[in-house]
Amino acid sequence: MIKRKTILIIAIIGMIASFPPQWYPLALKVQLTSWFGASDYSPLPQSRSSVMRVSEPNCPEDVSGWRNNHIIDGIEILEAPTCVADNPYLIAASVLGTNNISNTTLSRSGLSADAIEKGRDLDGDGDPDEIHIKLEIAELNGSSPISNKPVTTYDIAPGISPGLWVFAPKLAGMSVENFETQVARSSLKIPSPALRVEEGDEVKITLQNTHYMPHTLHLHGADHGFVDDNGEGNDGVPLTSEKPILPGESRTYNLTPRQSGTMFYHCHVQPHVHVQMGLQGLFIIEENKPNNLLQTMNIGAGHVRVPSKSSRDNYDDEYDLHYMDIDKDLSENIQKTNDPRLITKSMHRDYDITDANVDYFTLNGRSFPYTFRESLIAAEMGKKVKLRVVNGGSKGLALHTHGHKFEAIERGGVPLKSSENSPQDVIWIPTSQRYDIELSFINDGKHSYGPGVWLYHDHQNQGVTNDGIGPGGNISAIVYKDYLGENGWPLTNGMNYDQYFSADYYNKNIPIWESIAPSIFSEPSKDNLLILRLILLAFFFGIFLFGITRVVFWKQTS
Amino acid sequence: MRLIRLPIFLIVLSFSIAAESQMHSHHHHMASKGGFVMNENFENLPNGCEKISNEEKITVRANKTYAKNIPGTIYGMSDYEWSFEPCSRVEVTFINEDEVRHMWMIHGLPKYLYPAGMFHIEALAGESQSGTFIVPSEDQNYLVHCDMSQHMEMGMRGQIIVGKGSGDLWSVTGITDHLYRSSYLPQYIIFLCFFASLVGYFLLTKLVKKP
Repeated sequence: MIKRKTILIIAIIGMIASFPPQWYPLALKVQLTSWFGASDYSPLPQSRSSVMRVSEPNCPEDVSGWRNNHIIDGIEILEAPTCVADNPYLIAASVLGTNNISNTTLSRSGLSADAIEKGRDLDGDGDPDEIHIKLEIAELNGSSPISNKPVTTYDIAPGISPGLWVFAPKLAGMSVENFETQVARSSLKIPSPALRVEEGDEVKITLQNTHYMPHTLHLHGADHGFVDDNGEGNDGVPLTSEKPILPGESRTYNLTPRQSGTMFYHCHVQPHVHVQMGLQGLFIIEENKPNNLLQTMNIGAGHVRVPSKSSRDNYDDEYDLHYMDIDKDLSENIQKTNDPRLITKSMHRDYDITDANVDYFTLNGRSFPYTFRESLIAAEMGKKVKLRVVNGGSKGLALHTHGHKFEAIERGGVPLKSSENSPQDVIWIPTSQRYDIELSFINDGKHSYGPGVWLYHDHQNQGVTNDGIGPGGNISAIVYKDYLGENGWPLTNGMNYDQYFSADYYNKNIPIWESIAPSIFSEPSKDNLLILRLILLAFFFGIFLFGITRVVFWKQTS
Repeated sequence: MRLIRLPIFLIVLSFSIAAESQMHSHHHHMASKGGFVMNENFENLPNGCEKISNEEKITVRANKTYAKNIPGTIYGMSDYEWSFEPCSRVEVTFINEDEVRHMWMIHGLPKYLYPAGMFHIEALAGESQSGTFIVPSEDQNYLVHCDMSQHMEMGMRGQIIVGKGSGDLWSVTGITDHLYRSSYLPQYIIFLCFFASLVGYFLLTKLVKKP
């Protein structure tokens, strides 16, 4: 039987011996140094290389040939400059109307037969002026009572799938690509389609509420009556003009806009939540021109492949740029439960937007690196493009172009005076505001500094991250012809993009410079010696405690 | 044991159906103004069927008012479960009484008869569509649902039982339970539980005599 005091002495010696020298008090360190000099070299932990799951291809192959120039039912659809492009049959159906195309085109478009109906040419100028658009509402990355993973999925960036709502074109068939996956169809994406009509068109928009919450449609900035021809609410505002459209119900809004310009549409039911969830889109009213066949829907915004007459007359290309931001504390509410009553409560009563902050920043429904697949602007010396920009996010947008100074020509759908549109390289766009921007590729050191791959992005620091990890957010690029690969992928000289195409990177598992300096900037291994010392220290401390209790209590009892 | 149903659901899930690009290129596709029927089959017998065993006619109504009596649902159908003899020929009339699009579709059917293993009826708002298919010869449960985003999750989920079936599917509206059930607890539950444990403790100190 070991004596009690012996136990205590062993414990104290063990604790002193195992105590890490690097944690000795400075005074002790100084004293020891004066006696023995500095300690011997003990290497810091080695760098270890991180394990990254296989990343996706930067630019997936265009298997269906959707990028190519097409002529469908007589409509010329421009080649898409980007790696990933919209379905050209849907574009053709959108130009002619689903009621005026061949059955083949209709079925390849994936649209319902009554999705976009175009009627008579009322002013006799060679294009239809009766336009009837049908919209549905789809939920992306929502929850299910039979699965613990999101359903009808849509990734804004690798591994990032926040819950979203969107005004969707009226499709035929299922909402997913196929029954083996839960991936949403290519035409079910954010942002809601950019809609294009002509000044003076008799436009009807039927909102068929296919969602599980009440919604409306509000035409922000577009000329429309407060009530429709039947005297019923036409403004989409539950406070003043109409009751919300309940799930499974539908309402038709109408307008004959007298002014052209870049406008906005969004849901006006609990708008602080519903607009933020994605129920918003560009609403563009083009000038009335003869033979002006318009691409009524630009799915997910982006490059306009059938530009309007005035766009063709004045510009070489046109792009719809829709900026949004996402608060994951809001969007995850649709992923936690599948009971609509609980979702309604958590989104509208528990969630407090006055305490909120946003985490993701999208351009045309994607964050970097996916923006590089879909939202590059193709440039060519001597050409000029038009950008229609909307900021649908809850924060302002400091839109900045590298290598270019651009001119803002319209704000909120109204032309700016020439004194207001001098060239600039940052423009502040507040929530819901629209700017029409002219980007000229003139190599004069002002409009353009010359060919290259020039970024354009929100210059507020959070806007270029995915939940705080950069590069991310709404970063995209203006890419000159010589720098744009055959497949629409930019030819860059900088970082390899493979790591950005891995969910691990945005899950914060990959050291950001490991790929360019593997050893220097990799993660250090753990200090095993220190871990061992601490375990021993704790072990001897346990013995010490045991010894103490015996000394104290046994004295009393014995 | 209800967990047995999970693998069955996964098996059903594993059958693929057509992608958007091919969606309507099937020669079985019949379109009309009110919607369409895909992969109809009037006479091709599934393997193991010598003849049509039975002629069945069902009418299914989609109407959100059916959801009113089932808590936590938004969309609904007049029925959620149908039983057929193996090799029955079934004519389905799907009447959509809502103001939005709905589907009534089956997955996991034999792919040699039904492209992508799918029989699909889609009816536009206020429209009706009819389609016919022949059920296979094996005892099996098949998932029936509407594939509008969230419509299955919000109530439009049923099952077809062929013969004796192969076990109920999860979350068949009003018939089987959810695999993942939400929590409906009050916030004060933790205090209730704590109080109950105290009651238990003090009850025993009174009841059990000291030795």
